[in-house]
Amino acid sequence: MLNSFSYYKPKSEIEIIETLKSFGDDAKILAGGTDLLVYMKQQIAGPKVLVDIKGVPDFSKIDVDSGGNLIIGAAVTCNDVVENQYIRNHFPVLATAAKTIGSYQIRNRATVVGNICNASPAADMAGAFLVLDAVVIIATEKGNREIPIKHFFVGVKKTSLQQNEFVKAIKVPADYKDAEASYLKASRIKGHDLGTCNAAMSRSKNGKIKIAIGSCNITPVLLPDFDSNNIDLANILTTAMNSIKPIDDLRGSKEYRKHLVQVFIKRLLNGKGHSH
Amino acid sequence: MNTKKEYKYIGKSVPRIDADEKVTGQARYVSDISMPGMLHAKMLTSPVAHAKIKKIDTSKAKALDGVVAVLTGEELDYHVGLYLVDKRILARDKVRYQGEPVAAVAAETLEIAEKAIKLIEVEYELLKPLLDVEESFNEKENLIHPDLGNYSHLKAAFFPQPGTNICHVSKIRKGDIDKGFAEADVIVEREYNNPSVQHVPMETHGAIVQWGVSDKVMIYTSAQSPFTVRNLFCYTFKLPHQKVRVVVPYVGGGFGGKAGIHFEPLVGCLSRAAGGRPVKLIATREEEYNTLPCRCGLKFKIKTGLKKNGKITAQKLVLLWSAGAYADYAVNVTRASGYSAGGPYYYENLCTDSYTVYTNQVFGTAYRGFGHVELFWGLERHMDLCADKIGIDPYEFKKINLLKPDNTTATGEIVTDSSGSVRKCLDAVIKEINWSGHKTNEEKITEIKSGKVRGKGFAVLHKAPAMPTNTSSSCVIKMNENGSVILNVSATDYGNGTYTPLTQIIAEEMDIPLSKIHVAFETDTDRDPYDWQTVASRFMPMGGRAVINACNELKKKMSEVAAKVFECSQDDFIFEDEKIILKNNPEKFIPYEKLATGYVFPNGNAIGGPLIGVGVYIAEGLTNLDKETGQGLPAFNWTFGAHGVEVEVDVETGEFTVLKIASALDVGKVMNEASLKGQLIGGVVQGLGTAICERYVYSSDGRLLNKSFTDNKIPTAKDIPNVFVPIFIETPHDKGAYGSRGAAEHPMISVAPAIGNALKDALGIELTEMPIRFEDVWSAMQKEKTLVG
Repeated sequence: MLNSFSYYKPKSEIEIIETLKSFGDDAKILAGGTDLLVYMKQQIAGPKVLVDIKGVPDFSKIDVDSGGNLIIGAAVTCNDVVENQYIRNHFPVLATAAKTIGSYQIRNRATVVGNICNASPAADMAGAFLVLDAVVIIATEKGNREIPIKHFFVGVKKTSLQQNEFVKAIKVPADYKDAEASYLKASRIKGHDLGTCNAAMSRSKNGKIKIAIGSCNITPVLLPDFDSNNIDLANILTTAMNSIKPIDDLRGSKEYRKHLVQVFIKRLLNGKGHSH
Repeated sequence: MNTKKEYKYIGKSVPRIDADEKVTGQARYVSDISMPGMLHAKMLTSPVAHAKIKKIDTSKAKALDGVVAVLTGEELDYHVGLYLVDKRILARDKVRYQGEPVAAVAAETLEIAEKAIKLIEVEYELLKPLLDVEESFNEKENLIHPDLGNYSHLKAAFFPQPGTNICHVSKIRKGDIDKGFAEADVIVEREYNNPSVQHVPMETHGAIVQWGVSDKVMIYTSAQSPFTVRNLFCYTFKLPHQKVRVVVPYVGGGFGGKAGIHFEPLVGCLSRAAGGRPVKLIATREEEYNTLPCRCGLKFKIKTGLKKNGKITAQKLVLLWSAGAYADYAVNVTRASGYSAGGPYYYENLCTDSYTVYTNQVFGTAYRGFGHVELFWGLERHMDLCADKIGIDPYEFKKINLLKPDNTTATGEIVTDSSGSVRKCLDAVIKEINWSGHKTNEEKITEIKSGKVRGKGFAVLHKAPAMPTNTSSSCVIKMNENGSVILNVSATDYGNGTYTPLTQIIAEEMDIPLSKIHVAFETDTDRDPYDWQTVASRFMPMGGRAVINACNELKKKMSEVAAKVFECSQDDFIFEDEKIILKNNPEKFIPYEKLATGYVFPNGNAIGGPLIGVGVYIAEGLTNLDKETGQGLPAFNWTFGAHGVEVEVDVETGEFTVLKIASALDVGKVMNEASLKGQLIGGVVQGLGTAICERYVYSSDGRLLNKSFTDNKIPTAKDIPNVFVPIFIETPHDKGAYGSRGAAEHPMISVAPAIGNALKDALGIELTEMPIRFEDVWSAMQKEKTLVG
C-alpha cells in the first residue's frame, strides 16, 4: 500500500530544481517509477513529494549534439532505446543491454537513466555506459555539471548526486560511434530476471579495450583500460578477478559468478558477445 | 453410455465456453465483487519461525479511526483441518512458521487496516526452529505440536505419532523384501531431494464472508471445491450445513492450492466480530508465497536390488515428507504417493515407509501431481542409474520391468487390459526423440569441443486420483422453453477447462447443438448439486458419468411422455436433431422444445411437466488400505504416461535449453483435443518450472528469503521448449465417461527426471536435487570431473 504523497509535474528544468529545493529530502524524482513505486509499496521509500520529470519535453528525446555525441534524455524509456534505429546502427550495445531489463511491459515504463540512478550493482545499463565512457549530465541550482559515469556509482544504490540535483541526460561520446561493443548477462531463467552477473566490453578506434562487470561488487566495476593491439588474456582475467568481490546469494554463488565473468570476458574478446 | 466409434461432438476441438468473458475481462472473480457496507481485512503475520506468543496488545489498533474489528488467536478457540485437525484460525499460544497469521483487522478501508496492523504489538519467546526434515523426524523433545495426540483425525487412513513430530506414517509391504535383496546381483542406493515450491496461480486467494443474522453465513471465495469449503467451515464452527452458502465465482487457477479451506474461517470471524458486515480479504503475492500453503518438500532414499539381466528383485523406499507447520494435505500426499511410490513397475518385493514430518516452515498442501512430481524426480533418475549400474540401455531396462497386464501393483491390484498402457506411452516418446542409446565417449568429446552438447532423456509416470473410497459427483440438467439446456454442477472450472467437454457429452447424448448448451459458472452450494472436490484429475471421468446419467434420465422422461402421445412403448424412440422420433415411423416425432415445460395436446390437455434430469455417480469397489501392509484398492483408475526430451547445454556456463519435449498420456479417450493439448502443454511448462528454477529458500532462523517474483522465479515464454509434441494413447477405461481417464496433473509429472536423464546423457553428470539450475549443472560438471572437465 502506498502512503499518501504530493505529486508535481514541472514543465522545465528550473521548475524541477525549485521544487526539489522547496521540499528537500522529502522529494524524490519520478521517471518510469518501476523501481521507486515498488520501494514505496514495500515501504522501503516513503517520499512525501514526487517530482515527475516527464513534463519536460526535451527529456524524452534521443539526440545527437553538434559534436556528434549521443544524448539520451532522462525520460527516454528502455524500449525507446531498443527501438531507436540510430542507436541500433551506431551504438548497438545500448539496445542489447536495454533489452535485458525486466519484461517488455516494464521496458515501456522504465528509463535508461532511471536504471543508472537506481544504482543497483546489477544495473543492466551500467556496463554498457561504462565501456562507452559515457558522461552523466546533472542539472544543479548553478547550471549543469558533467561527470564521467565511472565516478557516478559510489555504493549499493548510492550515486554521487548531491542535494537538489538530478540527472537530466546521459551522453555517449562520438568517439564510440560504431565502435565494437557488446554485453553478456547471466540469469536464472531466460525470461526477465536480475542478472547473476554481467559483463560489457568495448574496443575503441584508438586501440583501447574497456571491460565492465556487474553484480560482482557493491557497484558496477570498470576495469582499467587494456591495449587492444597487445591482448594479454591472463592479465585481463587476473585484473578482473582482483577487481570484483562477488558474494553468495539467491541468484548465484561467488564461485559461479567468478567463473561466469571469466567465460564472459573471453567470449566478449572473441566477438561472441550475444546474450541469450 | 454411448459407445459408437464415430462421434459427432466427443473428441472434437470445441472452443472453450468461457473464452469470451475471460479474454474481455468480463468474468467476475472474488476481487471484482463488492457488497454494501463491506469492510477490508489485513493480517499481521509472525516474523519468527517458532515461538511462544507471550502477549499481544491490540489496544492501539482498536483505537484507530475506521477500525471495526480486531482479532487474535486468543479469541478464536476453534480448530481447522482436513484429515488431521491441527490448525488454529489465528496462531494461539505459539507460532509455527514465519508468515503465520497472528492477528487480523477489519476496517473501513484497506489503508486503515494496514495502518492498524502496524499498531499491534506482539511479544514472542523464541523456540528453536526445526528446519531440516531429518532433524525434525528424529526429534523427541522439541515438538512443533505437543498436542498431536489430542487432535481429531480420520482414523481409517491417518496415523499420527504423538510424542514426535511425525503426523502420519504410510506403509507398503509386498512380498519378502529381505529375500528379494538376497537374490540381487547388484544393489543400487541413492538419496533424492525436492524443496518446497509455490503454485503461483494468476489469481491469489481471496474471500468475502458475511456472518449474518441467525448464523446464516454467505461466503464468496476463490476455491476449487465449494462443498468442501462448506463442510469444513461447518465442522470448525459446529454450524448446520443448510445455514452456510458458498459461492465460487470465476477462479484464476488453483493447481491444488485452492483445494480444502483457507481464509474463509478467518474472514467469517472478522465479519461476526464486525456485527455482520461483510469482510473482504485478498492475498498479496507475498502472502501467497509466505502465508498460504506451498508444495511439501521431500527427502527420500531408494534402494533397489537387481539381477544382471535387468530384472528388479526388490525395492525399498523411505520417504520423509516435510509438511511444514501443519498437516493440511501433506498427510494425504504422503498416503497417495506412498501407495504409488514404486511407479508403474512390477515388483515382487516392495517395501515403502512414508512419513509426514512437521517442520517450522510454510505448510504444504495439494499441488498438481499430489506428491508424484517430487516422487518421480527421484524414482526416474534412480531407474536410469540402475540401468547404468548393470550396463543395460535405460529403455531396455524399463521394458523389462514396466507393469503389464496380469501383474499386481504395489497394493495388490491386478493390472488388466483396460488399465491403460505405460509401455505404449514410453514407446511413443522413444520414437519421437529417436532414442538409439547413449552416445559413445568419442561422440561426446567431439561435441564438447563445439561448446554445446546435446542429450536425450525420458521418464515414465503414473498417478491415480487420491480420493475417499466413496467419492461422488452429481449434476442437474434443466431444459429451457426453447429446448436448450442448462447444466448445474458444483465441481468448478477454475481454469482446467472441464465444462466444455461436459457440453460435448450432452450434445452427443441428446443430439442438441453445442450453442444450446450452457454450463452455469459461479457455482453455489445453495443452487448446485453436491460434488466432493475439484481435485485429483477425476472430474472428467467421474463427473462425466453423472452427466451421461442425467441425459439418460431426461431421455427417459421424454420417452414416457412421447409414449403417451403416440400410444406406443417407451422403448420405441430414438433421439436425433433435437427431436424424439418413433424408430419405425420417422415421420412421427416431437421436437424437444414441445416437451421442455410439459407436452400440450391439441385440445389443451397437458402432460409431463418441466424437464429436469438428475445424474449421480459414485466410485465403487474401492477399499481403505491395510495399516501395516498398504494392501487394498485405492485407485479409481491409473493414468500412465511418459516424456522424452532433448536438451542442449552450454558446457562452459551450464546454461541449457530444452529443445523438444514429447509427452504421451494414456487418456483412455480424448474428449476435446484442443483443450487436452492445452492442459498437457500447460502441465509440461509447470513441470519445467519445478525442474529448472522454482524453490523456497529459508534463512538459518527459518525466514523465507524469496517471497516474491524477484527471487522466486517461474518460467516465462522465453524458457519453454521450442517444440512440444503431445501424444494421446486411447486404451478405453471401463469406468470413465466414454472410456476417459483424468489427465490434468499428469503432464507435470516426470518432466524433471526426463531433463535430468538428458543432462546425464549429455554430460555424464548425476543430479539428485531439484531444481536443476544452470549453476547446478555447472557445479556438477566441476565436481564429477566428467568428460568436460
